[in-house]
Amino acid sequence: MPEFRTWNLDQFKDWIDMCLHCGACYARGPIVPHNWRELPPHEYAAPHKKCPPFEYFKFKNHSPQGRQILASLIFNNRYEIDEEVIRSFYSCTSCAMCNDICIPYQPLYTVLAMRQEIVEKGLEIPSRLKKITDNIQSSGNIFGRKKHPKTLENFSLPETGEDIFYSGCYATYLQPETALASVKILKSAGIDIAHLGDKEGCCGEMLKQSGNMKLFKKTAVENVEKLKQAGAKRVIISCAHGYSTFKNDYTNPHVVGVLPFEVIHITEMIASLLKQGRIRFSKNLNQTVTYHDPCFLGRQGGVYAQPREILAAVPGLTLKEMGRYGKWSYCCGAGGKVTLNAFPEMAKETAKERLLEARAVADTLVTSCPTCLAHLKKTAETEGIDIEIVDLSMLVATAMELSD
Amino acid sequence: MSDENLIKGLKAIVGPKMVSTSPTVCESYAYSFSLSIDWVTRPEIVVMPTTTQHVSEIVKLANRYKVPITPKGAAGMTGHGGPLHGGILLDFIHMDNILLIDDKNMKAVTEPGCSFFKLAQELFKKEMILPTAEYGPGPNVAASAITPVNGFGKTRYGRNIDLVEGFEVVLPTGEIVQIGSMAYAETDFGPFFRYITGPDLIGLYTQSNGAYGIVTKIAYRCIKRPPYWSFFTYYWPLEKIRQCTEVLQETTAMELFDVHINDKWKFEGFKFLTGVSLVPDDCYFCVVFSINGFSQQELEGKRKTVEALCSDLEGKELPGIAESFFDAWPTFFCPPTHPVAAQLADAGYKVTKGGYMYMYDSMNYPLSWFPQVYEKIMEIAQKHKIHGPPRLTVFDGFPMKSQVMCSQTWAFVNRKDPEWMQAIHDSKEEIREWFGKRGGTYQQCFPPVLPDFTWTNQESAHALLKRFKQFLDPNNILSPGTF
Repeated sequence: MPEFRTWNLDQFKDWIDMCLHCGACYARGPIVPHNWRELPPHEYAAPHKKCPPFEYFKFKNHSPQGRQILASLIFNNRYEIDEEVIRSFYSCTSCAMCNDICIPYQPLYTVLAMRQEIVEKGLEIPSRLKKITDNIQSSGNIFGRKKHPKTLENFSLPETGEDIFYSGCYATYLQPETALASVKILKSAGIDIAHLGDKEGCCGEMLKQSGNMKLFKKTAVENVEKLKQAGAKRVIISCAHGYSTFKNDYTNPHVVGVLPFEVIHITEMIASLLKQGRIRFSKNLNQTVTYHDPCFLGRQGGVYAQPREILAAVPGLTLKEMGRYGKWSYCCGAGGKVTLNAFPEMAKETAKERLLEARAVADTLVTSCPTCLAHLKKTAETEGIDIEIVDLSMLVATAMELSD
Repeated sequence: MSDENLIKGLKAIVGPKMVSTSPTVCESYAYSFSLSIDWVTRPEIVVMPTTTQHVSEIVKLANRYKVPITPKGAAGMTGHGGPLHGGILLDFIHMDNILLIDDKNMKAVTEPGCSFFKLAQELFKKEMILPTAEYGPGPNVAASAITPVNGFGKTRYGRNIDLVEGFEVVLPTGEIVQIGSMAYAETDFGPFFRYITGPDLIGLYTQSNGAYGIVTKIAYRCIKRPPYWSFFTYYWPLEKIRQCTEVLQETTAMELFDVHINDKWKFEGFKFLTGVSLVPDDCYFCVVFSINGFSQQELEGKRKTVEALCSDLEGKELPGIAESFFDAWPTFFCPPTHPVAAQLADAGYKVTKGGYMYMYDSMNYPLSWFPQVYEKIMEIAQKHKIHGPPRLTVFDGFPMKSQVMCSQTWAFVNRKDPEWMQAIHDSKEEIREWFGKRGGTYQQCFPPVLPDFTWTNQESAHALLKRFKQFLDPNNILSPGTF
């Protein structure tokens, strides 16, 4: 099938919409019936609701199918980009469930291509995304904070080494406890971990998600060069977005291509260290938890098993899955941070739905992405939903009694 | 049209978030699932009702402003259609509840936006099935009954409309009526029987394009699901078309689940695109049998009977084809989820630069006429040079127990190649003329999507339908242009 992930804008413009308009990507209900003998296995048992922006905005222009239609018209000069078109394409959460449903057309990549078209035509993107682009350019992080992260300074980590921890904007500036927990675990397991310190810059995911591919490429090249100079053989990332950006987007031949180091998510690392016997738990947590698969780690990164292996190994912990889990996990609403910034009300409503789904099966929700963590936590607080939300690394550090 | 008071009225009925007049929103509703036509009409207002009462109030309001209304699904296949004529498009995606599954009396009642896939799974849990191909993840349960397409697939049992037993309908005046088994729905007996004491009114609404009323509930007749299933294929060379036809006639008369026929061009397409041949050189017609039973013994008995018949009539067994379609996960019920379909889509794209389309409208004719109809289709395809790779006229036949063949013939098309497009349209027009003169009827599309000559072999019936239309819908607001 076409490698849409690596297509450039011109290839999308030449592409004619082949969508069958079957509706599987967004319509409610199953994507297959049965095979006369049995109901579909989990791999094909799609959930009732699939597309957060469609569920929030109700109309098809906010669905993968509707966007395919509009993109095809626009790329063939049969429709002009207007304000509603821009809203339609920036309301996508990039959760990628449509990609898993519709294998031939992979609708998410058309959305990203159209965002690129919008930027390259010099049209106005949602103002908060523009501000984030400015922040990345001026401060090297999405928040526009001064470039001196204090998060990891107590560890006196070296700035060079074979194993480099890449903390990313959210873990550095907004959820430092997740980065701290990750580093403690790695050090406790005997990994000589390094960190770029002030030199670490934003991974650029927001540039790509906003459609600014030129700046994204520049950022990616710079980041890879810095890590290469620092001697990285393995880059360990605690952020699902950073992980997906390095693993899926930097490796695009039109961006960087083959990376000179391995990219590992912290959950992959912890699961591997557990198997090697280098991590040991000393505390019984005695609680029932549910696990929220971050879209950028699960569907976009293919990491489903490792977080569950870790949870299964923690003493006294029982994992109870939500109705939508693994491949069919529902987005938390942050939506690659695009919807969080461009459509905060939709992001909140989506998070609320996910939190209530979690609350129905457990008192604690575990996730492994600082963006999901921050957004779900904030929504639980503002909406008064009584559920504890923890990062998997922090939970592991607690069970290892490394927290204090 | 964009009368502010009309919009205000609609918003008052369904809530402001369920109405849109945005050109971009409306543009995304202008397209249909249909692969045989380029029927693109942008609605001016998209409205999402959530109750029958909403639909009733909308229709009353539309009458006041004389604005056309199309229930989504009336132009296209299985409920994914755009509007027929601008105006208001009702999208039933938020009316998708299953209202009743009665496993004692084998009935199901749903709202119009329910999908066949959803209904199929819920029936399955109660050891029931709808004896149709049950295609479609979209809001299509009612749409497939009111559109002529009758769903994407049929089985030996017939078309979806053959299984409809009752409707709740909002008339063009806004009145809400229950017909067929739905007339009994609220009684102790429930929706047990299609026929009321009097004429059967169901037929006025099936294949109607929504022109006589808007369906808000639909009752289906189901069957008990046998636990034992078997799928297998036999094939015949072209010169044995008579023997193949005889097998179709004999097996559709038996108590099998389904009989389906394709010609070799379906598989030649795969060979052309991938270089891999799925069928032997002497294979021309492939017939897939789906049989079931309530015991292994019953299943084996049926299979032996069919196999003996096929062998007697010079068919040869072709392992692997039917099994890969139904047995393995993922099934082919939803092609976009299937990795092989994805590979084919990619390979197909390289040839066609944009999808395939059905070449002819799906046609209904006596099963005994299959050899002549097939021969004519291929003769015309050869004349217009769409026979064989890469254009690949493919025959897809659904013989039914009524001894009627429903078939569709499709071809790949490069939409950027005007000569290729013209060849397909010329073929389509020529087969329609030949077919219509012989009494053939169409499914999938009616006027205004098709030319009016669709009706030329059934003039008096059409005239009566027009009179019904004038009587029931004097302002001609419901799906105008059909009758």
